[in-house]
Amino acid sequence: MPKDRFDTPKKPVALDVTDLSNFAYDMSRCIKCKGCYWVEHTYMPGVRFSTRCPSNVWNDFDAYGAFGKCRIGLAVLEGKLQWTPKLLEIIYADPLCGACDVGCKRNLDLEIELTLEALRIRAVKDGAGPMPAHKKVADNIASVHNHFGAPPANRKKWITKGIKVADKAETLYFAGCSASYRNPEIAQATARILNGSGTPFMMLSDERCCGNMVYSVGMIDQAREIAKTNIEMVRATGAGRLVTACAECYRTWKVDYPKMLDIPTSQLGFDVVHLVEYADEALIAGKLKLTKPQDTRMTYHDSCGISRLADPWTPWKGTRGWMGMVEPRLKRRRGTTGLYAQPRNLLGAIPGAQVVEMPRIRENAFCCAAGRGTKAAFPDLADSSAKLRLEEVREVGAEVLVSACPWCKNNFGQAVRENGDAVKVMDISEVILASM
Amino acid sequence: MPISKETYNALEAVVGEKYISDDPAICEGYRSGPGGYEAGCGYERVMTTIPQIVILPRNTEEVQRIVRICNRYKVPYVPYSTGFYGPRSHCHVENELLIDLKRLNDYEIDEKHLYAVVGTGVIYSPFQEEAFKHGGYGIIGGGGAQASVIANLIGDGWSPLSNRVGLPHRRILGTELVLPDGELVRMGSLAVGDDPFWGDGPGPDLRGLLRGFTGLRGCLGIVTKMAVKLLPFQPERLEPTGIAPNTGLKLPEKRVKWINFQMPTKEAQVKGMLAIGHAEVGGAVTKVPLFWRALAKAECKEEFWDLWGKENEDTIKNFFILRVLLIGFTSEEQMEYDERVVTDIMTELGGIPRPTKPTDESWLKNADSAGMWLMTGSYMSVDYIIESMSQATVHGESYARVKKGYTPPLMPDYGDPGWFQSFEMGHQGYSEFLIYWDQDEDTSGVDQFYVDTSKMNIKERFYTSLLGPHQPMYLTGPKYGPNYHLFMLKVKDEFDPLWVCHPPVPLAHDEFVERAPWMKKMKDWESPKELPMPKW
Repeated sequence: MPKDRFDTPKKPVALDVTDLSNFAYDMSRCIKCKGCYWVEHTYMPGVRFSTRCPSNVWNDFDAYGAFGKCRIGLAVLEGKLQWTPKLLEIIYADPLCGACDVGCKRNLDLEIELTLEALRIRAVKDGAGPMPAHKKVADNIASVHNHFGAPPANRKKWITKGIKVADKAETLYFAGCSASYRNPEIAQATARILNGSGTPFMMLSDERCCGNMVYSVGMIDQAREIAKTNIEMVRATGAGRLVTACAECYRTWKVDYPKMLDIPTSQLGFDVVHLVEYADEALIAGKLKLTKPQDTRMTYHDSCGISRLADPWTPWKGTRGWMGMVEPRLKRRRGTTGLYAQPRNLLGAIPGAQVVEMPRIRENAFCCAAGRGTKAAFPDLADSSAKLRLEEVREVGAEVLVSACPWCKNNFGQAVRENGDAVKVMDISEVILASM
Repeated sequence: MPISKETYNALEAVVGEKYISDDPAICEGYRSGPGGYEAGCGYERVMTTIPQIVILPRNTEEVQRIVRICNRYKVPYVPYSTGFYGPRSHCHVENELLIDLKRLNDYEIDEKHLYAVVGTGVIYSPFQEEAFKHGGYGIIGGGGAQASVIANLIGDGWSPLSNRVGLPHRRILGTELVLPDGELVRMGSLAVGDDPFWGDGPGPDLRGLLRGFTGLRGCLGIVTKMAVKLLPFQPERLEPTGIAPNTGLKLPEKRVKWINFQMPTKEAQVKGMLAIGHAEVGGAVTKVPLFWRALAKAECKEEFWDLWGKENEDTIKNFFILRVLLIGFTSEEQMEYDERVVTDIMTELGGIPRPTKPTDESWLKNADSAGMWLMTGSYMSVDYIIESMSQATVHGESYARVKKGYTPPLMPDYGDPGWFQSFEMGHQGYSEFLIYWDQDEDTSGVDQFYVDTSKMNIKERFYTSLLGPHQPMYLTGPKYGPNYHLFMLKVKDEFDPLWVCHPPVPLAHDEFVERAPWMKKMKDWESPKELPMPKW
């Protein structure tokens, strides 16, 4: 052992969110630089639109930023803080959008997103979490397999004449609860895009909620059962590819399912593809033709589930030793393979469409705060975040706000109505279909 | 004594229910460590605690009212902007009020006269972006774009961009300061009117009192508003490119350019700095320590140690990079001229230009500074000096000699003598020594090294920046002055007789030495049995 270093014993550690102590190092190395809060400095647009943390904009106390939660998380781990309504609000008034994770990893190698997930799992394990609104939704999913408590028989009511669903195909379309029950226009548009670009698709005979919210609020045991059931159902169909138009479902299938089952994304047994990926490839291959002009000024909102949270999952366990170094080497997820280019390629290919960018885009996008159970428990957080984002839409003079997630669409739609804005909110599936 | 309900109600009446809290989870969010600047060592563990109450005022008037309440009810308080500076800007006593100034985030720019008026909550990166939009630029401190502009300027406030305007206090214009008793002092041109355009005002220059060399760490009041001088910049846009973590500003190559020169010797490196300064060209002129290059290439700490493990004392001794930033402030032709001047200087000195990226990741927006923590998890700048070029460029070697005795716990760095650069066109030299360690190890050596460097500076007659609240004042005061500590305490007593403002600063480090058993062996100077301050 060289004399210029300590002989530091190696401690086991894993990217395992079921044990908060796996993230003690990460929480204890937070330097309060607030890279988790500010738009990345290189891209900082100015004094307006300078932040990307909806939670900490909604509530100014440091506790609501990831840097505050790291300190709080350590106190929870050390038994110094009791679960209280305020503590639960702090950890749940948070869309887990990944801005903090990507922001921190611009310069450091700390696992902030996983820490926040682990904190929620700990809250549930301790009998404190999740929020009452989340329990209601979880009960819906347990009893009737959908987020809204709606009749399962109505799940495929969106399938109208003219939409061809195959009995068997390489591609399986997973509509998700929102598209099935609240946004049939998204499901219909997606189905027509698949049909219209020559891709037969099938569906699960008994499609169920992906369990996004159940996992996100820390109910990991229930979420794992949902994952196992859903994966088995898809594998049984023989599908090579699962396509969804919901960013939340996409992230859940691609990242959270493998995480819960301790397997890499590549071992799911099928590819998980968002509609924008599929459509971009189809456009390049000439199978999708966008010929109808749309003479409009539009802007695109990067939905978190297909952007900074979209890197595939690889399980990891090892040891941490001298100077905090881990073995084996770990390639961290930093949001670099998010679907940033694909939606922009698609919108840019629409004749007559003028596509303008908001000040905060890609990994710096300001989350609408509807997803991952946030809107259910904190509707005012979702409402205020959407309205703040709409300020950017107005700033760039866009007539149409496009996103790739029904949660974003519905949240923005509600905010637009309340504001009385002259902005049309559309899902990218609708925009693509309108040009076919 | 805990802050009473009556006091809480009085404070709540100032800001409203939404902006005050004594909830334990909220207050825990304001803990200093264990991570952060100067955290992960004994000072942070021994001297800091969490607040009893946190309050978020919106403007100067609310700050004044809060401070008056604290004086009335004898409540200790600490001003807090971002909390990034580490333990020195957090609560040090129990039952303390933390005044979080993030809501003082107003910003106004005077494009014609090139200054921006900011509140305490404004950080550097939006400040710089707004400056760029209006034809100017600011000096983003080495602490990074996430530092509060005001907090950085009343504390440190320099970086390689200080080549042209080194001493930060020259960039501080009209300023509002809420004294420890709540009285408002308007400094500079604000003392005689409402235009904050100028830093000098009637009477003695209070910027010296506010800043000293590196500030009083919030123990002499709260700065709520400051006009900050901007410098004229070139007009072309620095386009942000890349996806995190690989982002940078694309430089307009005919107007802004970094060049790295490999110099044959340290002497040539220093001569290069002086010559470039003498020629009055360049926006930044700085040495690049070898480990920064490894840090820039590494995406994780393991990768850093792969790279760093290949270095040794010889590679350190023979590595002399001089990094020059050329800015075509007035025109492309001016930058071409500057480049020819620098090339001539380098030809004379044997400097060889190396391939340099046409982007800026660090200094112009300073997005990289948080990476300092990547290597080991803990970091601080144990000292900095602004001296002559001849002193600054040898200062680090003294540190490196002392540091050998404290490695470990400090990071093995093969005797690297730290960072130095040219300030004020070579009229000043700047030296900074940075240390790194893992806070999970035995860190008593970090605290001991910190005080040992003060003794080294005294012995070798370096005028060190960290005289006041950063080091034991009864050690440094008698040596620099010889009554610096007495004068400082007189000032403190005059402005804050109750010592409500951020106690026990400026005697915090003296108290730390008394309280930490591992520091006993370091104490070989005289100090009163009871430190002359009220007990909280």
